[in-house]
Amino acid sequence: MSSHKHTVLSAKIIVEELKKQGITHIVGLPDNGSRVLFELLWETAEIEVIQVSREGEAFAIASGIYLGGKNPALLIQNTGFLESGDAFRGTVHNMRIPILLLIGYRGYKTLIPGAPRVDSVATFLEPTLKAWDIPYSILTDDKEAEQISIGVKKAGDTSMPAAVLLAEETT
Amino acid sequence: MLNKYTCLEKLAARRKDEIIITNMGIAKPWENLSDGPFDFASVDSGMGHAADFAHGLAIAQPNRRVITLNGDGSMLMCLGTLVTVAQRPVDNYALVIIENGTYEITGNQFVPGAGKINYETIARGAGIDAVYTVSDDKDFDHKLDILFEGKGPLVFVWKVEKANEPVPNFPILLWERAHRLRKALMESA
Repeated sequence: MSSHKHTVLSAKIIVEELKKQGITHIVGLPDNGSRVLFELLWETAEIEVIQVSREGEAFAIASGIYLGGKNPALLIQNTGFLESGDAFRGTVHNMRIPILLLIGYRGYKTLIPGAPRVDSVATFLEPTLKAWDIPYSILTDDKEAEQISIGVKKAGDTSMPAAVLLAEETT
Repeated sequence: MLNKYTCLEKLAARRKDEIIITNMGIAKPWENLSDGPFDFASVDSGMGHAADFAHGLAIAQPNRRVITLNGDGSMLMCLGTLVTVAQRPVDNYALVIIENGTYEITGNQFVPGAGKINYETIARGAGIDAVYTVSDDKDFDHKLDILFEGKGPLVFVWKVEKANEPVPNFPILLWERAHRLRKALMESA
């Protein structure tokens, strides 16, 4: 983990990156961190939002959308990502789906040394990504927004999923 | 009570270019009837996720009917899918819940709620209006037209006799089946 400075992630900049990459669908489930991003996506004509009941569904629905010829991405929180283990394994991984996973990094700031409380989901996230062999980068600032395009390219080059972790609440 | 194998034979006889998604105790019997690029066995896949995978396909391919043959044990693993489908309805989506009350391929252990659960009520409660429970051959034949031509999302509950299918094994890997399907869809567009 590089730094934990207080920065911002602009939903508008993220949506522009997604549009630039030709993302047609966002499949996912909102949380506090992605609230503003979802609100903007719902108003974005070029991208359809498919809201799921549980995050595991998102991996299966997105796989179907991709095989049907579209270009989806996921937007879920790290808690839901952990819940989705078998769905990840059995769909995007085993089907070799090149897809961008946008994962909210709940508890990122609690990993700062000396923080009063550590959110356990934050401690599980990166070790799990490594164990499941998912390449990832951490987006902490608008200046790093090109991580989204890099993630899409990585997924395309490998025909496998690649993740970008959203370390801040979107504004 | 319906016989699963007879139902599948009738389905195969009627089927044209629809995508057929199968899983668990249905995958192999269906493969024996049809094994083309638009047949997709959701085996070695996310457990219980055939119905939502099919929902994604139906969203991306609105002009092609997608029919999922889902076991009741698989359906129980992902009941929220019914709500998601109702939330984002698609005309070309048809889900068949094949209810035998057991986990057939692991030795016919009872699924939770076997004999008590009412899948039609659950699907209607999730917000899906076109739901049909079918338990005899005459009604099956009558409702087959709706499965192929009715406006979705459609949910069917086929009440079938118990059977004894082994764990399905496919020589073609999941990713090869998946990309075979994608290629066929792109070429037919």
